[in-house]
Amino acid sequence: MAPSIKSAPINKVKKDNFFVRFGRGIGEWFTNFGKRFADGSIGTKLSHFIFGAGNFYHKQYIKGTMFLVLQILIILFLVLCPSVNGTPYGYKALANLSLSNVTEGGDFDPNTGAFTQGSNCMLMVLFGFVTIAVIIIYIILWFKSIQSSYKADMDIKVGKKPTTFIEDLKELLDSKFHVLMLTPTCIAALVFTVLPTIFMISLAFSTYNQQDMDAQMTTLFHWNGFHNFVAVFTGDGTLGMEIKNRFFPVLGWTLVWAILATVTCYFGGIILALLINKKGLKGKKIFRTIFILTIAVPQFISLLAVRNILGEYGPVNSLLQNLGWTTGPIGFLGLNAADNEYLAKVMVVIINLWVGIPYTMLMTSGILMNIPSDLYEAATVDGASKTKMFFKITLPYVIFVTTPYLISSFVGNINSFNTIFLLTGGGPTYVGYQAGGTDLLVTWLYKVTIDQGSYNTGAVIGIFTFMITATITLVTYRRSKAYNEEDTFQ
Amino acid sequence: MKKRNLFLAAAASIATLGGLVSCDDSANKIRVWVGEESVDFYRTKVEEFKKANADFTYEIEVKGMDTGAAAGTITQDPSAAADIYTVAHDNIGKLVAANCAKPLMDTELVEQINKDNPDSFKSVIKSLDASGTERVYAAPYISQALFLYYNKTAVTAEQAQTFEGLKEAAAAAGTKAWTVTGDDGFNNSFTVLARKVGADGKQAGTSVKIYEGATSDGKSKGTSNFQGDDTIASLRFMQRSIKDNNGFKWASSDGWEKDFKNNGVLAVIGGAWHFNSAKAAVGEANLGMTLIPTYTLTAADVAGLTDVAEGDVYRGGTFADCKVFMINASSKADKYVSEQKLVKFLSSKEVQDASFADVSNVPAYEGASTKIKELFDAKKITESQYQLAAAQTDMAAWGIPQPFITGTLNTYYYSKNASQIYKAMIDGSKYPTTGDTILDETTSLAGIRKGLYTMEYTWMHGKVPTSFPENLPTKA
Amino acid sequence: MMNSNVSKPKHYRSQKKANAVSLAVTYLILIVMSIIWLIPFVWVVLSSFRCEYVDGTFVGTVTSNFFPKALGFTNYKNLFTATYYGVSHAFPRWLLNTLIVAIVDCIISTFLVLSVAYCMSKLKFKLRKAFMNITMIIGLFPGFLSMIAIYFLLKSMGLSGNSDNPTLNIVGLVLAYSAGAGLGFQIAKGFFDIIPNSLVESAKLDGCSNFKIFIKIIIPLAKPIIIYQALMSFTGPWMDFIFAKVIIGSGNPECWTVAVGLYSLLFGTHPDTNLFTQFAAGCVIVSLPITTLFMFLQKYYVEGVTAGAVKG
Repeated sequence: MAPSIKSAPINKVKKDNFFVRFGRGIGEWFTNFGKRFADGSIGTKLSHFIFGAGNFYHKQYIKGTMFLVLQILIILFLVLCPSVNGTPYGYKALANLSLSNVTEGGDFDPNTGAFTQGSNCMLMVLFGFVTIAVIIIYIILWFKSIQSSYKADMDIKVGKKPTTFIEDLKELLDSKFHVLMLTPTCIAALVFTVLPTIFMISLAFSTYNQQDMDAQMTTLFHWNGFHNFVAVFTGDGTLGMEIKNRFFPVLGWTLVWAILATVTCYFGGIILALLINKKGLKGKKIFRTIFILTIAVPQFISLLAVRNILGEYGPVNSLLQNLGWTTGPIGFLGLNAADNEYLAKVMVVIINLWVGIPYTMLMTSGILMNIPSDLYEAATVDGASKTKMFFKITLPYVIFVTTPYLISSFVGNINSFNTIFLLTGGGPTYVGYQAGGTDLLVTWLYKVTIDQGSYNTGAVIGIFTFMITATITLVTYRRSKAYNEEDTFQ
Repeated sequence: MKKRNLFLAAAASIATLGGLVSCDDSANKIRVWVGEESVDFYRTKVEEFKKANADFTYEIEVKGMDTGAAAGTITQDPSAAADIYTVAHDNIGKLVAANCAKPLMDTELVEQINKDNPDSFKSVIKSLDASGTERVYAAPYISQALFLYYNKTAVTAEQAQTFEGLKEAAAAAGTKAWTVTGDDGFNNSFTVLARKVGADGKQAGTSVKIYEGATSDGKSKGTSNFQGDDTIASLRFMQRSIKDNNGFKWASSDGWEKDFKNNGVLAVIGGAWHFNSAKAAVGEANLGMTLIPTYTLTAADVAGLTDVAEGDVYRGGTFADCKVFMINASSKADKYVSEQKLVKFLSSKEVQDASFADVSNVPAYEGASTKIKELFDAKKITESQYQLAAAQTDMAAWGIPQPFITGTLNTYYYSKNASQIYKAMIDGSKYPTTGDTILDETTSLAGIRKGLYTMEYTWMHGKVPTSFPENLPTKA
Repeated sequence: MMNSNVSKPKHYRSQKKANAVSLAVTYLILIVMSIIWLIPFVWVVLSSFRCEYVDGTFVGTVTSNFFPKALGFTNYKNLFTATYYGVSHAFPRWLLNTLIVAIVDCIISTFLVLSVAYCMSKLKFKLRKAFMNITMIIGLFPGFLSMIAIYFLLKSMGLSGNSDNPTLNIVGLVLAYSAGAGLGFQIAKGFFDIIPNSLVESAKLDGCSNFKIFIKIIIPLAKPIIIYQALMSFTGPWMDFIFAKVIIGSGNPECWTVAVGLYSLLFGTHPDTNLFTQFAAGCVIVSLPITTLFMFLQKYYVEGVTAGAVKG
């Protein structure tokens, strides 16, 4: 029997749209909230003010203590306003978020050696967001504390005992297992990804541009609304012209690069995997080991080696000149402004194959051997040719299993910093601009922010980039089989 | 059962924000950042200092740092930087403006700085504090200038004195004459700051002006004059040198040292920090070091110009800079007195001399060249160390320190593409400036004038001009 | 290319012949590709053993000749004994730092990836699809833009910019590396998706908790993907030369990872290009353990996928 991949119909349940559900959710939340306060026990009522009070009331001491300790910690945090680099967290950070009450500092008392530091606007913004996150957590905890007590009320009402701590833990290992498993990642994502990302986005609405600040002899910046976004089209500001004239060329090349790099490495990898796994081929292991080298060796080593080999005095150029094929060195990687941009672009795509193919080769080697043999057996019985089997069975299967990989490698290639940074450095340079001929959005961002300190400009580029990549990715992902037909192969 | 992740989420957030009590190891320690090549030297010196000053209560920790990257690291998070750090002097304005430096107020220290240093350095280590008073912020201890490295196997000492001689040697070797180590505003100073040589072999006339007389309060950016006839003539010299098969070439994308090693060029204009690489490229015995050569203007160079004449001789110039010690503003107040004491010691003549003998840091103090000669005669330094120091100190006399006493000027000079315009003019390529104004050619006299105007305007205003005045040259 | 010359053999003999031809072609292609793949590495290795002198000065710069004129261990000897950035025996220290970071990162990251992937693949719960979409969206923001924010968040915990106790910065680095790992669950989820749901269902009927299913059924089947994830997270710290420098700090060279150290040697502001051959030696040393690991584990990686009880 040869099950067809396309056969499984998808049961699409018509759902209300997100906003309707969201609105209804909020309504229900308020209704429930009122209801709980009205008919909850004293413990539940108290929980509205003191976390865990209901749990203590129901003799769930451990849980109650946990709630209470968290409440105390958060309140201490909000009230005591601990500070880093002289910039406070807590309620003061909320006030600081407006960036209105700031000082330049710099007063110095030679007798005591005491130096007055000015406001650090960057940290004020960051810590403001952190404080908001903590407040949101506080609200959620507050709600959960009430809910926890109310559930115990309900258990008692129907004649059950409130759950013990051990029972709670057991639940965490079974029906709530996902909570246990996802929590660390959620926390990490909040601290190391979500907060920094919000912070970065917010800078797009500020005047945080080190060059302008240096020129105005200030250490401070402030909010300036959508001014930076407008500047992209008008070409105003320090890097205005740069963005106006270079954004679309860089974006276009980034997309072309990402598509080329993803597709070539993907199919290159599948072909290589097929070659290596060919029946009767000896030395599979040796070949695989050789190809794995590009994964195993850090890129700053391997790519710099390639850069040197292809350089002006590298072995390749010496060889070409010794053979008399060229008279002067060829600028393969666009490291000089006069070098050919398109040659450099072709070269990075080719060199990227060297780095990228082995990944797919490894990925697909396993998958290829894993294809249910009955698929092939059935096809052989039907008299299908090997080529046909490849296109009808092997390829669809591999693509199905590796769709998430394809998408992530596409996104990875859009943000492929190392390849460009180490090989061409974005060159050949366009005289007068930061963004060179092979610069991707991500390497351009690096130059604009890390080299130039124009964080607001960088954030604007980042937001535009994000909007484009997010659209592309979501569309492809939602259409992919792996997303819609998750169960087909199970 | 309640979602346990919320507990954990909150707990972790608290932990995130709660680790705010930091223990204070740094209270009794003074941390010093020095150039990564001379850490061991300063560690030994600091030991000596501690022994000699038993009453010095602080522990001293010396660490190595990329001095070029130091300023960026310090401004990003001054509280994580050392108490005493070292940077190139052109960062002083930026660091003061960013609240990263305390003024040096100890009378003995300020006296020592004023007594030891040449006027050129004394004028660039001052800045205004928050109250508007001018203060000394830094103690110079290493001097730096560009000079010429050449390959003795192909270039004679006499040929190395003139660019014409270099070209002659290059023609004989079938290669290019000289290169630079980078195309930024520091490395192109050899042509930007070129000066006329008088009949007596000394400087005659003034070079270009860049921020001359700028004030540290940032109110005046001083005068810049980059549109003189001599500047145009020098640029034309570069234009014909880069077209010359045996002339000038920009640094190879593989690095200048590969060019130097493979006879791609016979000479390199570089600094003392290129010594190791230059030595490795051609071998210590073959490495010559001397002043940046002179060149003679031709009829083509002076065509259409009035202030210069055919046959005028110019010498390549340089930014003659210093590295300085500064005190971190984020450092604890009670360390201030001791920190200054330590800076006084570290920047003293004796330590500078020792650091030259030990790690080839060329001293910054006035009259160092006499001392260097003494050291050489006493065989305390090697022949090439001596040559290097001699070339550099002689060259410093032909240069000026980068006059960037405020962060703004530094930003305008370095970050605003002026050096790219200059490079485009030398190459004869066009340079896009703004949407409406484009330097569509940079070879004709009018094109060069527009380009020079653009550079000068960029230095003064931090952006390129949107239009050109009717009659160039005109002051920006 | 791969199968085209085997199109519909008419009888056994011609098929055998065609197979032989196609096998020969395969060998040829693979050998040519292998040579291309190896050239840069051979060059780095040769450079690391290069031991040339010009008039008594050791030449450590890049040279255009592919094959060195003289070989020796000088670079390795210097590498392990030299003082860089004022840190004596800096290279071995950087190696050790990296090893520690890599091991801890590997353990935490792998665990996080597996747990998230398992939830996404085998557990059904509210917000599952939302979580998947959100993680994907977050992943689209270029990471290093947040570098400064992460630096100061870690600093708030005393885990970066800590000059009193720079070793804590290493802890911060591990945290920054491994914390976000769970968001890269997609590949592992793709793998778990192939594990038949029936296995999970029947275990559930036997009264197994989700925890037990994860430990007793999923983990043993997931060996290949565990090794894959472990490898990926183990190798990451050996390759990062930007983020690590920001978190640990330019002023704490004794706490750097080896990638930061090696990269700074050659590409600092005033680089000593004469250290290139030492750099190459460093590269060889860094690559050795990772490459060995890859060679050793690729068997598990590739064959492990087939060895499991996955085949439907």
